[in-house]
Amino acid sequence: MSEPSTTMTVPHAPDPTAPILEVVDIYKLYGGVHALDGLSMSVQTGEVHCVLGPNGAGKSTFFKMLMGTERPTSGRVVYKGEDVTRYPAYRRARLGLSVKFQNLRVFPELTVYQNLFVPLRRKHAPAQIPARVGAMLAQVRLPGSEDRPVQQLSHGQQQWLAIAMSLASDPELLLLDEPTAGLSQDESEQTAAIINEVNASGVTVIVIEHDMAFIRSLKARTSVLHYGRLFAQGSFDEIAANEDVRRIYLGTA
Amino acid sequence: MSQPNPLVAGISRRLNGPQTLGNSAFFWCAWLLGLALLVALPLLVSRYQVINASNILISCILAMSLCLIWGYGGILSLGQASFYCIGGYAFGVVGINLIDAQGNTDLALLAGIAIPVVFATVLGGMMFYSRLKGVYIAILMLVVSLLLGLFMRQTADPSYTIGSAFLGGMNGLRPATSADPSIPNMILGFGDYVIAFDGRRSEFYWLVLGLTTAIYLGLRWLVNSSFGYVLIACREDLDRTETFGYDVRLVQLAVFCLSAAIAGFSGALYTAWGTYIHPDGFGVAPNILVVIWVAVGGRRDLTSVIVSTMLLSWISLELTSSGEISLLALGVILVLAMLLAPEGIIATAGAWIGRTVRRRGGMPARSRESVT
Repeated sequence: MSEPSTTMTVPHAPDPTAPILEVVDIYKLYGGVHALDGLSMSVQTGEVHCVLGPNGAGKSTFFKMLMGTERPTSGRVVYKGEDVTRYPAYRRARLGLSVKFQNLRVFPELTVYQNLFVPLRRKHAPAQIPARVGAMLAQVRLPGSEDRPVQQLSHGQQQWLAIAMSLASDPELLLLDEPTAGLSQDESEQTAAIINEVNASGVTVIVIEHDMAFIRSLKARTSVLHYGRLFAQGSFDEIAANEDVRRIYLGTA
Repeated sequence: MSQPNPLVAGISRRLNGPQTLGNSAFFWCAWLLGLALLVALPLLVSRYQVINASNILISCILAMSLCLIWGYGGILSLGQASFYCIGGYAFGVVGINLIDAQGNTDLALLAGIAIPVVFATVLGGMMFYSRLKGVYIAILMLVVSLLLGLFMRQTADPSYTIGSAFLGGMNGLRPATSADPSIPNMILGFGDYVIAFDGRRSEFYWLVLGLTTAIYLGLRWLVNSSFGYVLIACREDLDRTETFGYDVRLVQLAVFCLSAAIAGFSGALYTAWGTYIHPDGFGVAPNILVVIWVAVGGRRDLTSVIVSTMLLSWISLELTSSGEISLLALGVILVLAMLLAPEGIIATAGAWIGRTVRRRGGMPARSRESVT
């Protein structure tokens, strides 16, 4: 709030060169373990950005810092020029951040419609919600499944429902943690298409992924995390060709 | 059913929904039959039994307050009886002080609701805004209740006098001097237009029955409303709900205060019923008793909680003459219920009856209700 870096941002004409998100020197300690160890990086408005890294590199912790479900030990998170480091998750959500966590966290005992009702209710009048649900389900390849109990959906369908729930608040920055985990080849391709469509509608997307073919199909700028720091950054082809990245993934480091 | 009356359809849409068991025409017919039986009860049983039935209905209101916060909100409070007692003391203290001047207990009843709410706002504000969760809240609430009980027990010193009311320690609330009025009955109305509800008479029973029914219907409407969905979402996954943009601390605080208001209200009714209130209600046993009523019936359904509270309170009454056996018996019932039907005996039985009736009647399972 008292942050002097609150620069002029015109809401209706975002500067495509301005970063929508910056993290500055983030540390997160769990006990004595450095989950994040001085991570700094930025994400440009309008891009799809992939975050790669071996297990334990700090990717999911990074997302928790961005969404605000946990706070960093030190460092800053800046969203659209505003320092949101001390903001609780609901305030960040209202600023336009949204997340799909690694474990889906759908409500299994409710129907698809009821799952989408809760995130939609905050912004939409109840009378509009059925139509919104219909449109969102078409977008995530689940048309007509309003009345199905979520526990009857396949894992891939639950992934898509979780993505739809994250989209329900009309976010400007969408965080997706492993959206293809446990999906078939065909479902992964559909998921990539969904992400590209969402991005084309103006939403900046950050994706945590392991599946190289999937990242290639997103044509995303890619950051590699290792031991809680930014290890490498570049286009997917640059990262794929990077010897050091291959080395840490093969575990010979 | 025949042609839908728009009024009936509108009420039905608001009272029925996935958050409550029993949404069918069959259920509501049985419900009306049960209500009619309860209304007719004073004509069927002895006066002594009507007095007990009034107390059981007051317990049902208390049980609904825990059902709301635990079953629907996911916040287990082991100190729900403390709100009941605070409401009871507030009614008594204000009632003793104002009954002669005002001629009614309207303000005393209001105090029985407002003071527990103020207490819940302070306590809940601290708990939820410091992001306290689960078992810590449960234990904290029990400790707070026990501390309040300890405090009230040592108020036998004459200095613990509020106006005309003397807190009275172990002996319970009393008038300060023999010239002061004793704890009043429920007297509602204004000026000369007042109705007195003597706790030993059928009028009081019908008053409490009406209030219990109103609170039950109001809570059914609440949990099936769109706020009810947010409440369920908080119960199922608090952090996820917050990432949708909901200030979950505020949601929890709001439902905690509403629960305290209902519990305090039932406490005020209890004081008016027996015209006495004493510190034993803050103890472990009363707090656990509420949990047993709710857990055995099925904490996620209001109707089940009411049915089980009626049955268990009746069993308690029948066993009172046998001494400590009563609480022991309820403990055994709780353990059996948790083993056989973890979602609650009445809720499980109710779901089974619902399935059977649908199969026999060939009625389709309910499709999606439009949520408003």
